Amino acid sequence: MVDDNGFPAARERLAAAQAELLTALLADGPAPAGFDEQRLDVERRALLSKRRGIVRMLGPAVADELGERFRPLFDAYAVAHPRRAGSRAREDAAAFAEWCRAAGELAVKRKARWKFWQSN
Amino acid sequence: MAVITNLGVGIGWRSEIDLTVERLPGVDFVEVVAENLHIGRLPESVTLLLERGIPVLPHAVSLSLGSADEVDLNRVEHLGGIAEAVGAPMVSDHVCFVRAGGLDSGHLMPVPRTKDALDVLVANVKLAQRNLPVPLALENVAALLEWPGGELTEGQFLAELVERTDCWLLVDVANLYANARNIGTDPERFLDEIPLERLAYVHVAGGVEHGDVYHDTHAHAVLPEVLGLLGELCSRVKPPGVLLERDDNYPSDTEIATELAAIRAVVDGHRG
Repeated sequence: MVDDNGFPAARERLAAAQAELLTALLADGPAPAGFDEQRLDVERRALLSKRRGIVRMLGPAVADELGERFRPLFDAYAVAHPRRAGSRAREDAAAFAEWCRAAGELAVKRKARWKFWQSN
Repeated sequence: MAVITNLGVGIGWRSEIDLTVERLPGVDFVEVVAENLHIGRLPESVTLLLERGIPVLPHAVSLSLGSADEVDLNRVEHLGGIAEAVGAPMVSDHVCFVRAGGLDSGHLMPVPRTKDALDVLVANVKLAQRNLPVPLALENVAALLEWPGGELTEGQFLAELVERTDCWLLVDVANLYANARNIGTDPERFLDEIPLERLAYVHVAGGVEHGDVYHDTHAHAVLPEVLGLLGELCSRVKPPGVLLERDDNYPSDTEIATELAAIRAVVDGHRG
């Protein structure tokens, strides 16, 4: 009789292999043994391009303001901040904008609001 | 006994093409991406299609059933809730992993075709099935890279999965084409090895070549070679349904209608 979460040893081996692959693809980790390095590079670029496209779609104003700097900046941000399991795409877009502001690449967002104490 | 029969030809409902889907002639059924919908707040367009009697099948992209991580039952529950909200006879996700080691790849990653990976997948699928109100179909994904140490062909891997979990198969012929191009899968052998009596329905999608790699983008036209594989499948079994997926770079209504007509022509060409 195998319990529902059976195969603990198999699960452990698979967890290590999957984590190693995603770290290589998303966070500039070392290439796992046995993979074709060129294909790892193709996959890495495909995942980055998909994530970049989603962030561009969710934050067009940020992409517009950055212009040609959007792509290199996003790619630098992405490898330093791989998406965490459970995070949402909108959080990714917001974190990228915040990262750009902190680096002085984007104007600091001003909230348009009426400040009654400054009005006369 | 098949859960779904005679679905016909369908298209993936997306909010960007909601009006297109509503007014296109010859849409017999649709799929919705479960993660994009909220239970209790279905889009008006989906409600309208349901009122017309169009079957709506929830398709999930985030269960990560091939992952070594524990199954996220909240995601399974959401999928089941959407199935009940649209009265669907079946739901689906992919034979893949999305998350591992605390990271989210944002994509449907292939699993190694090993006994380890199969054991884990089977345990995860059984747990999901026990928490779903309707049967589950699982789809073959497009891989850009090959895991080392594969012990089974993709067809054998899927056949074992069906044997051990009694799940259904959602065969994506564009993904099959991608794997034939990118990792050397033999598509005819794949179709020989999978249990076609457990075929839920079929996906067709477009893609593009960059260098020597085929990218399954769902943002380009369907290649004639992919329709060729649909024909190959139809020569072996009459698929209960065939659905076109388009997720980006949406073309005109006319172009989508032309793609649906091309799919219908292949299916009808093998009828009888």
